[in-house]
This record gives sequence, C-alpha cells and structure tokens, in this order.
Amino acid sequence: MTFRRIYVLWVLTGVFLLGLLFYPVLPKVNLQSYWLLVGMTALFYAILASSWSLLAGYTGQFSFAHMAFMGLGTYAAGIMIRDWGLTPWIATIAGVLVTGVVGWLIGYLCLRLRATYLALFTIAFAEIFRLVVKAEVKITGGPNGLEMPPYQRPEAFDRLMKAILPYWDANQYVPAYYTMALLFFLSLLFMFFLVRSRFGLFFRAVREDEEAAAALGVHVVNTRVLAFVVSSMIAGLAGIVFHHFIGLVVPDEMIIGRMSLIIAMAVIGGSQNLVGAALGAIFIHFALEWLQQIPMPLPVLERLLFLESWGFSVDLQAGLLRTNAWRMVGFGILLMLTLRFAQNGLISPILDWLARKEAVEEVAKRFQAQRDMGAVDAVQPVTSPANPTDDLEAEGEKA
Amino acid sequence: MSRANGTLKLEIRKVVKNFGGLQALKGVSLTIEGSQLVGLIGPNGAGKTTLTNIISGLLRPTSGQIWFNGERIDTLRPYHIARKGIGRTFQVTRAFRRMTVLENMLAPGIVKHPYMSRRELEKKALEIMEFLTIDHLRYERAGNLSGGQQKLLELARLLMLDPQLIILDEPFAGVHPKLQRTIYDYIKRVREQGKAIILISHDMESIFTLSERLVVLNFGEIIADGPPEEVKNDPAVIEAYLGRDEEEEHDLRRAY
Amino acid sequence: MEWMAPNLFPVAWMSVSSTYVIRLILEGLLIGVIYALMALGLTLIFSVLNIVSFAHGEFYMIGGYVVYVLLNKFKALPGPAALILAAVVTFTIGAVFERLFLQPMARGQVDRPSEYAILVTFGLSFVLQYIMLAIMGPFPKKAPRFFSFPKLDLGFLRTTRTTLFLGEIPLPGGRIFAAVIAVLALMAILYFMYRTWTGWALQAVSQDRNAAAVVGINPLNMNTLAFALGGMLAGLAGAVLVTVFSWVPWVGVPASAKSFVIIVLGGMGSIPGSLVGGLILGVVESLGTGFWPNPATAQAYRDVFGLIMFALVLLVKPTGLFGRKL
Repeated sequence: MTFRRIYVLWVLTGVFLLGLLFYPVLPKVNLQSYWLLVGMTALFYAILASSWSLLAGYTGQFSFAHMAFMGLGTYAAGIMIRDWGLTPWIATIAGVLVTGVVGWLIGYLCLRLRATYLALFTIAFAEIFRLVVKAEVKITGGPNGLEMPPYQRPEAFDRLMKAILPYWDANQYVPAYYTMALLFFLSLLFMFFLVRSRFGLFFRAVREDEEAAAALGVHVVNTRVLAFVVSSMIAGLAGIVFHHFIGLVVPDEMIIGRMSLIIAMAVIGGSQNLVGAALGAIFIHFALEWLQQIPMPLPVLERLLFLESWGFSVDLQAGLLRTNAWRMVGFGILLMLTLRFAQNGLISPILDWLARKEAVEEVAKRFQAQRDMGAVDAVQPVTSPANPTDDLEAEGEKA
Repeated sequence: MSRANGTLKLEIRKVVKNFGGLQALKGVSLTIEGSQLVGLIGPNGAGKTTLTNIISGLLRPTSGQIWFNGERIDTLRPYHIARKGIGRTFQVTRAFRRMTVLENMLAPGIVKHPYMSRRELEKKALEIMEFLTIDHLRYERAGNLSGGQQKLLELARLLMLDPQLIILDEPFAGVHPKLQRTIYDYIKRVREQGKAIILISHDMESIFTLSERLVVLNFGEIIADGPPEEVKNDPAVIEAYLGRDEEEEHDLRRAY
Repeated sequence: MEWMAPNLFPVAWMSVSSTYVIRLILEGLLIGVIYALMALGLTLIFSVLNIVSFAHGEFYMIGGYVVYVLLNKFKALPGPAALILAAVVTFTIGAVFERLFLQPMARGQVDRPSEYAILVTFGLSFVLQYIMLAIMGPFPKKAPRFFSFPKLDLGFLRTTRTTLFLGEIPLPGGRIFAAVIAVLALMAILYFMYRTWTGWALQAVSQDRNAAAVVGINPLNMNTLAFALGGMLAGLAGAVLVTVFSWVPWVGVPASAKSFVIIVLGGMGSIPGSLVGGLILGVVESLGTGFWPNPATAQAYRDVFGLIMFALVLLVKPTGLFGRKL
C-alpha cells in the first residue's frame, strides 16, 4: 500500500499544531482580545475534558467534582497569595498540591468501592464545596469572587518573546493565550505518556476486570487513586493558570452545569482517547460561541418571533437569532445520543482509525495464513480478509 | 523461569465461610507442601470455588487462617497474595477484553518485575504465548478471541507472575479438544518447573490422570484426601457423588 | 487571618434551651419526611434497575416548576390538582426517558452498562436543567402558598394563618403542609409496593430478574414503571417544596446530593433505610445548622453535615444501615 493512513494523521496533527500556534493572527481573530479569550477558554476546557477522560475513559471511574477541583486549586492559590503573600508562581505549585491532597483523601474514601460511589460522592462534594465557597465571604470573597493577581514575568523574557513573535505585546491576552496553549500541549503530552506507561496498562486492566487484575497482583485501589489524583491535579493546575490571566475566580464557575458541559465535551469527542476529548472540547466551545447568535435573513427571523416566549431572543435589527440556553440543551441531547449510539464519541473513532497500527494488518495476514493451513482451530477471526479496513481498535464491535 | 521450589507450603487451617445463613465451608483444613498437583473435586455447591476465592483473597474467611510459606495471608488483599506467588484462573474466563493479548500479558509481568525492561518482558511473554499457541494473536484484542483462546490467554497471563502455586478453576470446561490437549501440556510443563497446582475440574478423566493427590469436598467439608486410586474407591466419595448430579456421576463412572 | 480561628463559643451556645432543641428536631423531621420521599424514589430505581439516577434532582426541580407554572397561569386551579399534574408530568418524563435510553441497557445493546447508566442519567440532568433555564430563566421563582390553616386555639396547639404553634414552638405552615403531603405519598407508595400485585412484581424483579421473568413478569415494563415512579416521587417532593423554597433551574442539585447521602446512609436499595436515613439527615442538618457558630453562614453549611455523614458512612460501613451486600 503506497497510501498510509498514518500519514494523514501526521498531516492533521501538523495542521492542528500550526493552527494552535498561529491562532492569534488568523484573519477573523486578528489579535482581538475577545477572540483570544475564546481561544484560551477553549484550551482551558480542552485540558479539563482530556484530564477528565484520563479518569473516565481509562479507569472507568466518574468524577463530577472536576470543576470543583479546578476551583479548589484556584481558590487555594488565590487565598495563599492574598493571606500569606506568596508569589503567584509558588502559589500555583502550592495550589496544585492542595488539590492533590484533597483528591487523594476523596479517592481513598471512595475508590475502594464501585464506580457509583465516586460519582455520588463527588457530585455532593462539588455542589457543597461551591455553596461553602459562596457563603464564606470573608475567606473567599463570596459570590463576587476572589481576585487572582497576574503572573510576574521577567522583562528579559518579554523582550525575547517580542523578538520571536512581533505581536507578543499586542494585548494582554496574547501571552495568556500562549501560556494556555503551552499548558495544553504539555499536559496532553504528560497524560499521553502516562497512559502509554505501565500505569496506563494498570488503569485499563483495573477497568476491564477489577477482580482479575487484583488476582494478577495489580493494586486496584492505588491504581485508581493515582488516576484520580493526577486527573484532579491537572484540573487544578489548569484552573490556577487560567484564572491568573482572567484575574478573578467566582464560585459559579463550579456549578454542575459547567461540569456537565465538560463531560459532554469529553464524551462527544470520545472519552477513550485523550486527544479526542480535547478536540471535542475545542470544537464544542467554538460551536457554542457560534450558536450564541446565528445570523439569519430578516423574513425568516420574523417568522421565528414566537420563539421569544420560549427563551430565544430574536434581534431583528442585527439579524441575529440568539439561542441563549438552548444551545446547551442541544449539546446535552447530543451527549445523550452519542452515549447511546456512538459510545466512543464522534472524533476519537476517526483518530483511532487513522492511527491503527500497521502491525495489526500484518498479524491479521499471518493469522489468516495459519488458519488456511489448519494450524489454528476454533477461532473466530475478527479481521476478515474480505474487509481488511475493519477497525480493530474500535470498540463495540462485540455484539 | 522460576526455580524449582521445594520449600513451598500452603496451610489452610480450619477455614469457615458463611454466606448469610448458609455455611459454604465448615472448617476446612488442608496442607500442601512442596510441589504437588492437588486435584480438588466435589459436587456442585461443595465449596470448591469458595475455597479458591478465599485462598486468593477475593473473599475473607469467616474464621480460620491461611498460611503461605510461613506467612499469614488470609488477611491480605488479593493483589498482595498474587505478588506472594499464588496465581489463579477463573471459572468463567476473565481476560481484559479491550486490551490486546500482549498487553494482557504485560500487566502482571510489570507487577512482578517492575524493573525489567519492556523488551525483556515482551520476550518473556512471547515465549509463554508461543508455548500456548497464542503468539500469533498478540496484537489482537482479547475480547475478539474465541473462548478457548481466552482460556489459554488466562493461563499464559498467570505465568507472567512467576507464581509458586497455581489454582486452576475448571481449565477444561467448554474447551475444544485440541485446546484441551494444549492445556494438558501446559499443566505438565508447569509441573516440571516445580510449581504446585491446585486443579479443580469436573473432567474426571483428566483429574485422575494428572493429580498426584486428590481432595474431595462435599457440603463444605473434606471427605477424602489421598492418592487418586485410594480416593476413587472411598465409599464416602461414591456416596457423595451418587444420585447428586447426573453428569458428574457419569464422569465418575467413566473414570473408573 | 481572623478566619483561621473562628469564634467557637458564641452566645447561642450558652443559651441553649430545650425548646430550641425540640424545635430544631421537629423542623428536621418535617423536612426529613420529604427527603425520605425523594430518597425512596431513588431506592426504588436502584433496587429494580440497579442504577443510580443522577437526574433525580432534576425531577424534583421539574415537579416544582410545574406547580409554579400551573398556579401562576391558572389562578383558579386548586393546589392538589397542581400536585397531581406535577406527578403526571414527572412520571411521563421518567417513563419516556427509560424507554428511550435505559431500556437498551436492559436489553444488552449497550457496552459497559454501568458506566453508560451513570453518564446517560447525568446527561438527562444536563438537558433538563438547561431546558428549564431556557424557558424559566435564571431568576428565583416562588410559587404562591395555596394552603392556610384554619384559625385554631387549643391552648397548647395554636395556629395562625401561616404558622402552627406547638406550645412555644412555631412551625411554618408551608412545611407542615409539605410534610403531610409527603407522608400521604409515602403511605400510598408503600401500600402500592407491599399490598398490590404490581408492587409485588416490582419487588420480585428487584430480587431476581430472571426468576421474575420466568413466572411471567416482564422485567422491562417493571424497569419503566420503577424509573417513572422514582422520578414521580422526586417530582412530588419538589412540587410540595416549591411553595417553601425559591426555585432556580439548578435547585435539584443539592436536593439530589441529599438523596445520595440518604441512600448510602440507609443502604443502597433498602426501603426502610431510605425512610430512616431521610429522617436522620433532616434532624442532623437541622441540629447542625441550629448550632452553627456563625448564623450568617449557617444555611450554607446545612449541606455540609450531609457530606460529612456521607464520608463517615463510606469510611465506617459502606453498606449503610440496612444495606444488602454489594
């Protein structure tokens, strides 16, 4: 075969990375702070969604407190800066450690039991944590939020970056965007190596069959706790870094609706695949941005006026249909349909198909040869030669 | 692989297990010393699987103790017990279905040899898989294998732990005769390496030919323990089997 | 830094009277009955379908909104009718969702059913929350009170239009009304579970699906019924509380968190467990809030006691008070 799918994957990866790098100067974005903010928020969500899928997709445990951990880290860092006078850089590390410790405690409490318990406990924890943060005005600033001072960068660094990227100081969100992009890239890389390592093997073994894994010596509880702590710490880190650039963190960022959105992103992208989840988050965030106000011709809009009483807003002057909360409903329904009909998500099966190992094909061929010779018996080959593109990596082919 | 080990000793001391009102094991005591192949038989519901689950730590005994090589293991978690050198298979095969065959092999390998390189581990895994005739499937998902192949995979996976004692729960059940032959060879080869085996099987023919010692459980109690020829003629054993289960009875007769 | 050393002994601690404690306990029991009603719905779902519905709070939320909308749109509508309609709506939503999304699981058409169940019910909660947000808006709503006491004075027991006095202790009428409705609903559902054929069929399915199927019960229909009934109970709880609390689209989240605490405390799948657990949670919350040193933040900490109980149960006895073995 002269054409190999893996090349397509490499090209796509290259295009994606270039897009990530040059997003601020893309025509529509054009260094406007609004679009830079949208971009960095998308990356923020991408980190959250992929770290959530590290836990959900690889160990089969569901945490609904991912946003709460994000908030926990951020608030911990913010409070330490305000009360103890830590510098933002040190507070970032300290905040991540706080998330790790709390994550470890909760993980140890719940992960000895089956998956439902973590889900139950984290949903209760997330909501109650948010209410407490909202109520403790003296400590956290209450509903008005907590100020997060910006990171101090050495001037030499800024000069250096300016030399590399001429538009580095075009506005304050350019450095912010690039920091988030770097964080996104590094965290994805880290998780990628984690799941390729022995721990990834253990994660999946424990998910597949807890008892069998234990009988083979895999420390079930520790393995799950590790996944939970790592995933929570990444969420905390992303939250801290993001909010240092935003300048403020409010408790309502931790509402369960936001958490649902992260889950929708991860599941629609494909929670079995870190990159799939991250891409899902980026696509959905931009889709939500676009759906916020859909441009429409005037005659159509006039007919849609009745939607006003159903929670849409029709802007006749600007020619826009504002979908408000309905766009979220759309993604909620898409989440449920994805779960029902495409459990591996919509993006990651494509990636898996592109990344499928050549080795698999080769083995399938050899296997076929052996079967023809009658060396192997009682075998149901899944890779039938009639359909060599059959996707071995895809899930759900088992009836 | 693992060195021949004569010092191996498993002691089951008066193990009792209750499930609610039901007493599944009524004070079972059993000592396995040195490398032996112990056949464990008994009618359905006699407590064989309960006993294996207790040995491997998936269940805690209600009372009684289990000692392995001078260490008490009944309070340990299953993964600790596995690391101490007791491996087991399950009656219903439990491969990690969405992992490849090779990954299935590597997981216990890494547990046992955390510092061995991936390449070495893979080599070791391939050796075992080759012996069990599943090496050509190494990149296949375990869930795509046939039932018999999954059974072979389970047996192969077990050896990656370098266990001293292997508990095989119904390895022959529902397996193609050709694969049965392979499992037969596997058991013999494992025996040659000096590992002890506890073999549970309804296939009387194989259990009588393979085992050096036969233990019969009935209603949670050991009713016979000794060389197969003796046990075969034990009136209590015949009593326990007669009229209980057509199929088993048939098996027993055929073995005679 | 003053928050590091909170004032642990404010005046409230010194002047604790027994009436105050009794009042707290009574208030706790009143709300506990409603918690129990909601948790019973979750228990019903868990025992038959063997899943936890993460959309349980949203049924509660919908039940409340239905009553709110009905009472606002049709001023002449009697309160009880609104309650019944709320029950019908939540029952229908539950039944439709079960048929569309949970039935495939029971039929074995879904990979990894336990993971699917968690996510798909969570997805439902997502959808319902945002639908209600889109329609009702984010601002708190409160339904008009549709019940007032007749004027009574029996010495020890006095009433005004809105409040009932037991001796010195004032009890708000809305909550008493809600608790009474909840008790009636509880009795009805328990009667249904233990004294009717359908109830027995439900129990049979919860104990052994295959055995039930063999004797002619269709477990799939029982699944639908159990999920819809469970949702309906939560909807009723919301319907009676909408006159007491103000309603926002995410009001169901803390409510479902409470139900989770109760079912874990009482033991997953245990009906007596959810009843007792509901009352315990109500009383613990009420006492905890009543004795919280800082009254300004006391209400926010109401849910924290539940969470602490949750953690303790997981730590000490994960099977709960009446739980069957997992």
